[in-house]
Amino acid sequence: MNELDKIPVRQEISVADGSAKRSNPLANVFDELVRFCQSRSMFMLHYCTGCGAIELPPAMTSRFDMERLGIQPMVTPRQADILLITGYVSVKTLKRIILTYEQMPSPKYVIGICSCTVNGGMYWQSYATAKVLREYIPVDIYIAGCMPRPEAVISGLRDLMGDIRSGRADNWKRYFQNYDYYLGNQQKLFGEDWQTPTDIIAEAEHYGLMTDQTLGEHTALLQKHQQPLEALEFSLGEKREKIQGENR
Amino acid sequence: MPFSELLVELLLMPILAFVIGLVMVLMMRRIGARIQRRVGPPVLQPIYDIIKLYSKETQISHGLMHEIGIIMAVGGYIAAETLLPVPGLDGLADKGGAVTLAYMLMIPALGMALGVGQCANPNGSIGISRALTAMLAYDIPFILVIFGASYVYGTTNLAEMISIQQQQGVSSWGIVQMPILAITALLILPAIMGKHPFEIYVAPSEIATGPMVEMSGKFMGGLFVMQCFQLYTAGVIFTTLFLGGGVYWITFLPKIFLVVAIPMSVAYLFPRYRTEDVLRLMWKWPMLLGLIGLAVVMK
Repeated sequence: MNELDKIPVRQEISVADGSAKRSNPLANVFDELVRFCQSRSMFMLHYCTGCGAIELPPAMTSRFDMERLGIQPMVTPRQADILLITGYVSVKTLKRIILTYEQMPSPKYVIGICSCTVNGGMYWQSYATAKVLREYIPVDIYIAGCMPRPEAVISGLRDLMGDIRSGRADNWKRYFQNYDYYLGNQQKLFGEDWQTPTDIIAEAEHYGLMTDQTLGEHTALLQKHQQPLEALEFSLGEKREKIQGENR
Repeated sequence: MPFSELLVELLLMPILAFVIGLVMVLMMRRIGARIQRRVGPPVLQPIYDIIKLYSKETQISHGLMHEIGIIMAVGGYIAAETLLPVPGLDGLADKGGAVTLAYMLMIPALGMALGVGQCANPNGSIGISRALTAMLAYDIPFILVIFGASYVYGTTNLAEMISIQQQQGVSSWGIVQMPILAITALLILPAIMGKHPFEIYVAPSEIATGPMVEMSGKFMGGLFVMQCFQLYTAGVIFTTLFLGGGVYWITFLPKIFLVVAIPMSVAYLFPRYRTEDVLRLMWKWPMLLGLIGLAVVMK
């Protein structure tokens, strides 16, 4: 771990130009339509880590009915647009959050609910809690409060809708552009052999989001420790008997 | 029929089916919302969802079979729409008939099975095995219903069935001629549409939407399109067999929407059945009713 501390973690946030317009006016109309539909149809994956989750059922059900705004719960990261993190993030759950976040198809948005995701909240002195969520994955919107009421949750979601519509909600690009920074913070918590099944660097290349911040000393560490992902071996009875025979 | 006219019909029928299906999806979600005392989604919500899914930047494909599976799932329904006569458009209904249609309706589930198989997600595999088991459960009563209807009308040609019912008035409608078979069809309708209480293969809280677990972006969009076709097909088949089809859209549309609305209104009141219970239920009551209905029809 001492080795890791010597590597500095830097992030020079470049302000992304969300209002980049294409020269073809028809293409602009198309982009507007797509952004409008993206803002009006959000599938959310709620990673209910803490007490804030209790405010989501009233927001979804008959009292405040999120489906009015086109927001509905989805259960797998593959289908989701929003990752809701409701409450404190322990080191163990943070691993799962990062795995989930990396599996979501972009454009993807992260919402941190409750003060615990902002600065650790009442878990500030806890040794097992990751305090500032935005150091590990880019967060689009924070809804502060302990806990925020359903009105606040819906108001936050409406803010996100506005951001998507105007093209400002592009924080998912930042994860690719500043991967070294996020990975560095993750490595500080999980150790230098931390790796996920998703190849972020290859994805960044694919989307043309490589910057000089994408690769760095931390990604070099990652590549040093990376083991190729192999599919689990599919074995039927015969094979299992063989293995058991060998073990005997 | 001249070739160009047929071509226009073949294009028009799936497009109409899709548009009507979108409205049916909206109706389904609104009914669900009203039963749960919510407002429900806005009018254009199904379109927003589909456009958003197709505009995702990441399209995670798990291989060729994954893509072909979705094409089969949507394509099977598109082929089925051309066999379903609707007012003014007969398409291939003269040449196909009810038996071909029953075969066509199996293709989407098989396509899904192929596509999901390549995803190699255990939840997906469990889901698709449940989906195929459910298909096995409802297909036998479904074939009984089609057989009984064909016996009563003396033809498997869907266009002829409609003209017989239209010429001889309400008293010759399938629902009057063979009420027991109509009840059987109504019982299996939620299973054909894959809705509660027979949506065991989706089961979001247990197996994370089953077959759809690895579908994202355009693949999920394809499945949303498929759902529109699914609701429309179920409504039109029931209307054609039992409610006299339609000569004009203005009489035809209320019938198909009513047919889809009935199972939807009941569906949201029930929890799910387990797979073996679906099989037991389907092979007991609808099949028993179907056999009694057949016996009554054939005397």
